[in-house]
Amino acid sequence: MARSYFSQYLTIGLFLVVSVGLVMGTLQLARLLRPNVPSYEKYTTYESGIDPIGQGWAQTNVRYYIFALLFVVFDVEAVFLFPWAIVFERLGTQALIEMVIFIAILALALLYAVKKKVLDWL
Amino acid sequence: MQGALTSPVDWHAIAPELVLTAFACLVLVVDLFLAERAKWLAMPLSAIGVLATGAATLSLVGSERTTLSGSYEIDAFALLLKGLFCVIGFIVLAISFDYFRSGIRYQGEYYFLLLCSLLGGLVMSSARDLVTIFIAIELISVPGFIMTGLRKGDPKSNEASLKFFLFGVLSTAVMLYGMSLIYGLSGGATRLDRIREAIDGSGNEPLVMLSVFFVVVGFGFKISAVPFHFWAPDTYEGAPSPVAAFLSTASKIGGFVGLLVLMFKAFPEVADIWRPVFAVLATLTMTVGNLIALKQRHIIRLLAYSGIAQSGYILVALALIDPSSPGVSRQALESALVYIAIYAVMDLGAFAAAVAYARRGGTYFIDDYAGLWQRSPVLATLLTGFLLSLAGAPPMAGAWAKLFVFLATINAQVYWLAVVMGVNAVIAAWYYLAVVKRMFFEAPELEGPVEVPYFLRAVMGVAALALLVVFIYPPVITELAERSIL
Repeated sequence: MARSYFSQYLTIGLFLVVSVGLVMGTLQLARLLRPNVPSYEKYTTYESGIDPIGQGWAQTNVRYYIFALLFVVFDVEAVFLFPWAIVFERLGTQALIEMVIFIAILALALLYAVKKKVLDWL
Repeated sequence: MQGALTSPVDWHAIAPELVLTAFACLVLVVDLFLAERAKWLAMPLSAIGVLATGAATLSLVGSERTTLSGSYEIDAFALLLKGLFCVIGFIVLAISFDYFRSGIRYQGEYYFLLLCSLLGGLVMSSARDLVTIFIAIELISVPGFIMTGLRKGDPKSNEASLKFFLFGVLSTAVMLYGMSLIYGLSGGATRLDRIREAIDGSGNEPLVMLSVFFVVVGFGFKISAVPFHFWAPDTYEGAPSPVAAFLSTASKIGGFVGLLVLMFKAFPEVADIWRPVFAVLATLTMTVGNLIALKQRHIIRLLAYSGIAQSGYILVALALIDPSSPGVSRQALESALVYIAIYAVMDLGAFAAAVAYARRGGTYFIDDYAGLWQRSPVLATLLTGFLLSLAGAPPMAGAWAKLFVFLATINAQVYWLAVVMGVNAVIAAWYYLAVVKRMFFEAPELEGPVEVPYFLRAVMGVAALALLVVFIYPPVITELAERSIL
């Protein structure tokens, strides 16, 4: 009884050792295997393969943040709408009513945004 | 999957959740069209919503049903907790009214978020499915992150919100990892009863243990068990105080409900393995929480650490579960339910008194509680009642809460845990009674009367009276708990 007991906790310890070891081990292995040829290009900041221009400290208008949030609302809506549309015929009117309620709740978010005047671009 | 989509939904069974959702949306929309002066109307509207939800819950009493393909269960256990969440919601609304009416600009949003978080609690009470449990715990937490940061101009509030958010996300990630392992082990089942069947005798105990471990760590953050408690005192202190009251009751109880349901419904077969984990967690949580509370000078931080210690007592009940002796398990679950219910009321009462005092002629510092008895006998008496209850002293219900867990521990023959509980009760009494002593036996330093709004006074009075009644006649709550076990 007691032995099986501690062997259970041993699993957790083992898991910990393996997970840390895996990361460390692969990093070290990669260091041994890869060729080491440093060049100027390799030390520049990676920017989708284009030469980086300007400083890393670029400012973005905070209003984009609101659009990003609103985008999430409609993105999630789409995630549910597509599978719903595919099986819609088999599900009937109940599914229609449910989806209308769902979209109405999401539309509240838009109403909220409009009333709070976050969609007015100064 | 087809069956899950087309199976009829038992609308009456989810009526409380529907009512609360409708009211939350209503509060949000109504608030948009209210003038700045009239924004406070969001609070009465929310209160009506919570009462209506309570009524919908009452209409289900006595029925046992499942819906949504068995992932949603309405039984006495769920109904008791839904009722409790409604009570918590109502008291928190009462605490919030005075606080948010003066000074904070986002009243409508606050009440909307509060109702959403409360909805998470209701869903959690009925959730019998991994995915539903996960959604419920996130629904409780996520509005909490925003509510914590509602005092935008205050760096402490921002810090509190960020800390809560980061720890919350971390715990979610750990919990999800555990759940994903469970999902794999059970061969794709998410319903708890199916998981139980799949795991039983599958020979995968080490992996099951690992996944349970991750899930417990995730929930450990939510219930602020030591060593996962670091965020709690800072978050409570920086958050608007009514939000702290909500987090330390509804949010924490939500975590406990999830933990209880998971352990009882999905993993009773491997109880031998996880029971010691809870025993260690309970010991650490009680002892560390109480010892650090001794040094606190800020009443909200004191309540935060006391809340951590109180979670330890509920964890004791989890450490007693033993499927091979159903009597012991029954008693453990009953005592946990009784403790949760009584804890919610007494903790909210103490928070209400602290917020009322800080708003009306006082501060949050315990030194400034000196002589409160002379300035406001009513408030001093009420706060004394709640603190005595938290300390587990007669004549308040907290005494029974501690005693029932203690008796369950003795009955399960885990004597060392009973000793730990006893020692901790003594340590805890010290810092609660220190506040009481300051209120009654020291000369006041601050001047002037303390005028608590009548509505809040009434709510606190009823809460204190309820604690007193339960002390005099405990069957009120114990029989309810007896009928409501899983």
